[in-house]
Amino acid sequence: MEDNHKRYWKGLEELSNDPSFVKLADQEFPAYIPVKEAHASSPVDGGNTGRRDFLKLLGFGVAAVSLAACETPVTKTIPYLNKPEEITPGVANWYSSTFTDGGEYCSVLVKTREGRPIKIEGNPSSSISGGTSAKAQASVLSLYDEERLREPMVNGNPSKDWAKIDAAISSQLAQVAQSGGAIRLVSSTILSPSTKGVIADFITKYPTTKHVVYDANSASAIWQANQASFGKAVIPSYDFSKAKTIVGVGCDFLGTWISPEVFSKQYVQTRKLGKSKKEMSRHFQFETSLSLTGANADYRTGIKPSQEGLVVAALYNKVAKLAGASTVNVPAVEVKYLDQAAKDLYKAKGSALVVAGTNDTSVQILVNALNNLLGSYGSTIDLTKEVYYKQGNDADMASFIAEAEAGKVGAVIFYNANPVYNHPGAARLAKALPSISLSVSFADRADETASLCKFICPDNHYLESWDDAEPVRGFFSLVQPTISLFQTRQAQNSLLKWAGSQQDYYAYLQNRWRTLVFPLQTKAADFDKFWITSLHDGVFEPGPYLTDTSAPFTFNTDIASAASNVAQAAASGKGIELSLYEKVGIGNGSMANNPWLQELPDGISKACWDNYLTIPQKLATDMSLAQGDLVSVQVAGKTVVDEIPVLIQPGQTNGTVSLAIGYGRTKAGKAANNVGKNAYPIASLVNNNISFAASGVNITKTGGSREIAQTQTHHTIMARPIVQESVLSEYQKNPGAGRVYPTVTTAEGVLPATDVTLWNGHIKKNHSWGMAIDLNSCTGCGACVISCQAENNIPVVGRQEVINRREMHWLRIDRYYSSQEGAHTNGELEVASDNPEVVFQPMLCQHCSNAPCETVCPVLATTHSSEGLNQMTYNRCIGTRYCANNCPYKVRRFNWFKYFEKDIEGDLEFATNPASNDLGRFVLNPDVTVRSRGVMEKCTFCVQKIQEGKLNAKKERRTVAPDEIQTACSQSCATGAIVFGDMNNPESTISKILATENKERAFTVLEELNVKPQISYLTKIRNKDKA
Amino acid sequence: MTNTSEKYLVGVYDDEEVLLSAISQVRRSGVKIHEVFTPFPIHGLDEALGYRRTRLPIAAFLFGMTGTATAITMISWMLGFDWPMNIGGKNHLPPPDYVPVTFELTVLFAALGLVFTFLLSNDIGPGKQAKIFDLRSTDDKFIMAVNVAKNKLAPNEIETILRDNGATEVNVKQFD
Amino acid sequence: MHQVTSQVREPLVTGGKTYRDVTEDICRQVEGKPTKEWIIAFSISLMLLTYGGYCLGWTWWEGIGVWGLNKTIGWSWDITNFVWWVGIGHAGTLISAVLLLFRQKWRTSINRAAEAMTIFAVLCAATFILAHMGRPWMAYWALPLPNTFGSLWVNFNSALVWDVFAISTYLTVSLVFWYIGMVPDLATIRDRAQNKISRFIYGIMSFGWDGSARTWARYEEVSLILAGLSTPLVLSVHTIVSMDFATSLIPGWHTTIFPPYFVAGAIFSGFAMVLTLMLVTRKVFHLEDYITITHMETMNKIIILTGSIVGVAYITEIFIAFYSGVEYESYAFANRVSGPYWWAYWSMMTCNVISPQLFWFKKIRTSIAATFVLSIIVNIGMWFERFVIICTSLHRDFLPSSWAMFYPTMYDIGDYIFSFGLFFTLFFLFAKFLPVINMAEVKAIMKSSSEKMPTKGSSSVKPNSIVQPSFNKNTE
Repeated sequence: MEDNHKRYWKGLEELSNDPSFVKLADQEFPAYIPVKEAHASSPVDGGNTGRRDFLKLLGFGVAAVSLAACETPVTKTIPYLNKPEEITPGVANWYSSTFTDGGEYCSVLVKTREGRPIKIEGNPSSSISGGTSAKAQASVLSLYDEERLREPMVNGNPSKDWAKIDAAISSQLAQVAQSGGAIRLVSSTILSPSTKGVIADFITKYPTTKHVVYDANSASAIWQANQASFGKAVIPSYDFSKAKTIVGVGCDFLGTWISPEVFSKQYVQTRKLGKSKKEMSRHFQFETSLSLTGANADYRTGIKPSQEGLVVAALYNKVAKLAGASTVNVPAVEVKYLDQAAKDLYKAKGSALVVAGTNDTSVQILVNALNNLLGSYGSTIDLTKEVYYKQGNDADMASFIAEAEAGKVGAVIFYNANPVYNHPGAARLAKALPSISLSVSFADRADETASLCKFICPDNHYLESWDDAEPVRGFFSLVQPTISLFQTRQAQNSLLKWAGSQQDYYAYLQNRWRTLVFPLQTKAADFDKFWITSLHDGVFEPGPYLTDTSAPFTFNTDIASAASNVAQAAASGKGIELSLYEKVGIGNGSMANNPWLQELPDGISKACWDNYLTIPQKLATDMSLAQGDLVSVQVAGKTVVDEIPVLIQPGQTNGTVSLAIGYGRTKAGKAANNVGKNAYPIASLVNNNISFAASGVNITKTGGSREIAQTQTHHTIMARPIVQESVLSEYQKNPGAGRVYPTVTTAEGVLPATDVTLWNGHIKKNHSWGMAIDLNSCTGCGACVISCQAENNIPVVGRQEVINRREMHWLRIDRYYSSQEGAHTNGELEVASDNPEVVFQPMLCQHCSNAPCETVCPVLATTHSSEGLNQMTYNRCIGTRYCANNCPYKVRRFNWFKYFEKDIEGDLEFATNPASNDLGRFVLNPDVTVRSRGVMEKCTFCVQKIQEGKLNAKKERRTVAPDEIQTACSQSCATGAIVFGDMNNPESTISKILATENKERAFTVLEELNVKPQISYLTKIRNKDKA
Repeated sequence: MTNTSEKYLVGVYDDEEVLLSAISQVRRSGVKIHEVFTPFPIHGLDEALGYRRTRLPIAAFLFGMTGTATAITMISWMLGFDWPMNIGGKNHLPPPDYVPVTFELTVLFAALGLVFTFLLSNDIGPGKQAKIFDLRSTDDKFIMAVNVAKNKLAPNEIETILRDNGATEVNVKQFD
Repeated sequence: MHQVTSQVREPLVTGGKTYRDVTEDICRQVEGKPTKEWIIAFSISLMLLTYGGYCLGWTWWEGIGVWGLNKTIGWSWDITNFVWWVGIGHAGTLISAVLLLFRQKWRTSINRAAEAMTIFAVLCAATFILAHMGRPWMAYWALPLPNTFGSLWVNFNSALVWDVFAISTYLTVSLVFWYIGMVPDLATIRDRAQNKISRFIYGIMSFGWDGSARTWARYEEVSLILAGLSTPLVLSVHTIVSMDFATSLIPGWHTTIFPPYFVAGAIFSGFAMVLTLMLVTRKVFHLEDYITITHMETMNKIIILTGSIVGVAYITEIFIAFYSGVEYESYAFANRVSGPYWWAYWSMMTCNVISPQLFWFKKIRTSIAATFVLSIIVNIGMWFERFVIICTSLHRDFLPSSWAMFYPTMYDIGDYIFSFGLFFTLFFLFAKFLPVINMAEVKAIMKSSSEKMPTKGSSSVKPNSIVQPSFNKNTE
């Protein structure tokens, strides 16, 4: 990995720096420039060109069109004449690295082909992350984002000369420092201890510097509460896997709260069932809008944001009563399931866990008190093993903006921070920023903040960087570069330079590890060996170090003041209340220009390419609002969001509305700009913490409507046994509870539907690839969807095509709401319950052994393999779509247009598709065909990965090991809900699962059709009392 | 010089009934009729002229059988032997799925075969030139042509016979 | 020729025509200048063809994404139109073949036009087979041709392949049947031809037909056998088309009743279309004496019959859906009746089940205006029938998660218009340059079923002694 500056030539000219090429190098399509010029002055555009020119153009047009119709010209490519030693064309190289984006953390393995990173997988050797999040999966596409700056910018003009810029910035910093002017380094959470070291050095060089850390979606109340309760300003690590009873209050810990992937993994361990494990945790959720977490809860109660404190307090009191402890004095709150929650919590004393998402210190103090009462500390909560995902300090940030406004800031540097977009004080900062004499941004694009800065020194993408990370105390991981695309430079290098150090960051990093990390272990004798192993593993986990466990934290039991604050806060809640939430895909908006994430349907609403005001049915009826109607939202009299479409959301608490942050970017790129509305202005600073709730909201219909792009428009399951479910008590009695066994009455009597057939079938001699999907383990996070998209070159089709119901995802996650109690007629069944039970069902090609699609294809473009795969032969397909019609699962996808077309004129309908530009095409997986217009496509069980695995085994003269081959979806699934493997191999996990579950939880969808799918689902079991 | 073997006496009749009776009369009186031309098919005409019934139906049947055979062999060979594939878990040779194509090919072969035989046997087809004895024979006149050379009787005798049997006119047609 | 025809039968040819008159009447429009009505009608159809051509061209250039289809509804207007046209294409062959076998004389004056209509309708259907493909330029892959992709053949399990064979066979046989039937008439035109060109052209087209007794004998045999072959063929074609749906497993498609039900429907719509066209043609070309009220009434009776069969089929379908107890099946039908596309279902019901019952009244069944309107209504209904079957079955199938709606775009409509343009352009060309009525056959039945035709054997009566034919009154 010494050479981390691979360059990719467009052609020999670039290699030889042929002047004519260099002249045009920055214009992506020189050949077309004449067309544009000519066109610009054509009579059509009101130019003054005469008839002759017009005719010339016409002639040219005709010629061009006829040329366009010809074969595409052969472009020169550079063969590996002298092959780089570590690269074999056609064979992937894997590097371990770490995905970080602010507080986002994921230890990953990077798959590179011919030097291009094309896929991210979870790093199994990490005890923290394991799987991957949708964001981590999509991060590889951000690397090839056309909007990225290719070189630094000075006052909005590109400049190639880093040295000049360094000189300029250093001198100005020096001036500011000498004149005692304030220097502010504003960043989001930094997980890298070494980077913090760099910043520390920088501060020693420029003592007037202050490092301001804030998080777009802040959790500062938690460490403040812990400061108050334990005298220790930390965010502890939670262990859901130890919890028997879990209560979440406005806390989307499976979706977006602190470290959702980690929590999901732990949480699902308590939800999995099997022969040996017939117990599962019970999960209560009290929340405003239906979140991923709420959707997975056993008992869910809708509450208003202002009630969160009261609910916690009420729980505290009820538990305290049971425990015989003193209660606090707060107004009672009437919401469902409180008593039951308290009872179960107390029952599970010592293995209970209460978490709250609110950013209100007093509430968090009560939560601490409650957890303390339940003896959660030391079992489900570990204060010694603190986590660093959220280090933001809202008070600091607020005061920085105040300073900036007062003109007290001499110089500001933004690192991985975009406050002009994602901070409530954005408007004020935007006004103040231009007047700051030195403003520098490390942003990778001219975003909302950077575009207002004098200097933009674009940072590398993490796949181009050296770095480390410590998400949890004592759990280190390394970031290593896999490619280098542009004249960008790592922020740390810039800071080092400006701090006057000659060292480059790679050396700096190694030194730090030599001095600080290396001593934490004893295995490796010399540092180099240690370094290489850690680099290879990607992680080094000595566990919590230098912690004094002798003196346990003592809980400060004085919570009266907190309680009274809560009471006050609750009283202030009035009128319609609004809560801001984060979407799993788009998150806080930092990766908003990633088309994969934009098109990833929201886990609950199944909507993409937009944010919208989720409103309860009641409000819709009262205001006679229909889905998509535009409204404007006023808080405290002034309009904060205008012209936002509404989405009627079952589960949304009456009297509340919710809105997602992360949208409404204006300077992020073509995929993100003006998609949705920016919700950050609604957030506000409430006693030194950013509060994501507002009350007394006024909603007015503005008229007009905007269709919301949803991948699923029918939301109930219509009482069909597509998802079979039961409750724990039933399951314990009978493992087959909730199962439906379709039968057919024949002359020989009543037979199972699958026994009646005309055909003999075919034997699968070698392998029989199959899948088992545990509906109890699937949280609906959607990581698998992005993973599949990345692995299989699935096009992004854009908002309009999604509205046309033509999204291309091979793997979708069906989400069904339960209907109202006692609904019977079709009409009634279509209406989702006000507070529905939710079930997620990953739906992909079922690889039926009696595939209906194969029978009907006239040209044999889809046939069956001897290993149970339903194969699709793209280049034989003539596109009759008969197969898609005849697919009972509707998993086949058709290429209605040339989705892969290059966006030459910049007016292409599918310009957001990665394949529409040269850079984006780098992300394509060379092992998978890019499908042409007019052909059908669908899930292949990642046949390319299966073949690769079989070949590897063959090369090593062995049989394929059990679970050696994984599909993209199964590999990315953090909770192990998707299990893929060879059903002919008794050693494989899937065989083991099916061996026990076959007569119990395992069912196939639409069994009565006797299409014999290779995919089995395990029934959904809820831990709630029988209705 | 004119070719006597192509010299015809052409009797023109106005009504098919008259024609029918005339034919038998004329033949009885020993005149060999070259051919009769009518604007539309007349039932019993061929019997009256003593033609043998056509064997076209047999031809059609044979062609049809060829079609059936072709279809069955084609399908079996393609699906079962040339490249057997697992299509929707069905057997390589699924009998029910033979039926439609086999039927269609049977009909197709029979129909086309029949028509081509018909064209050949009558020596008609695109661009063929007809031997017209009287243009009105495709309109409303019924024509009886008698080859003078092929008859022992003298032309004038034949003419009287024709006239006696209801011919409205008798013309001489000479092909060369 | 000597069937006994009961005297109560209405004459099939009125106005006391002679053989010569028949020739005159039919050849007039072939030989004469095009009438004003014809020119107007023809230019309208040309305009439709042009606009439709543009839409179809764009569909091919951009891809069928320009249609309103989606991941759930893979077929809608395209296949609806295909089945609709194929259905219409059934009357022609049926009329000439089946009625020939049953020696139904009234067929003679309409079968020519009906067969032409069949052929053009099937051509229109064929355009949709091509247009609906994602990659139409690969269409020939649906034929079992040796190819460069290894010995890769077609899938004989697929109803679409059956379609390929059925439709192409049907087209070929109909074409042959139609043309062979036309040869004698072409000969007539040839022999009447005044100028060289037409004599040359019709000379080629008439295959050197001389009308000799031998040829006629074989000709009769051939038409008889072709009729015998075509009759099962006609039935098979729509049976196979119905199998596109019946052999699939989508609720509402997977139905054993489809073959008979589709065939009945096809005859139903086919006869309706024949009526529509005949009523126009007889007006435009003044053929009132050949296409009489009797013809119309007889066909209306067949419409009542087939219409009622279709109606029974609809009801049976619904009954079975619920009786079967299959929840998906019963939902599919509940959804047809009361779902988002209820209007399509009820238009189908009104047009196909209720309206034809009006023909029970002799007044309506013998009224030209009423018949004309109803014949169009029937075809609207039959279009909706196909739409209901195809679209409403697909849009809500097994998994509610993929339920969707279909909304047509201007290209769905434009491509449909194209087929109309094509159909009428071809039909009017045919009507102008080819004999619309089978002269030979009409002449052959005149003795038995024409007004004031000289009776048996009375050869003395000369054509010119017959009263002035009525059509002259209309024309002069």
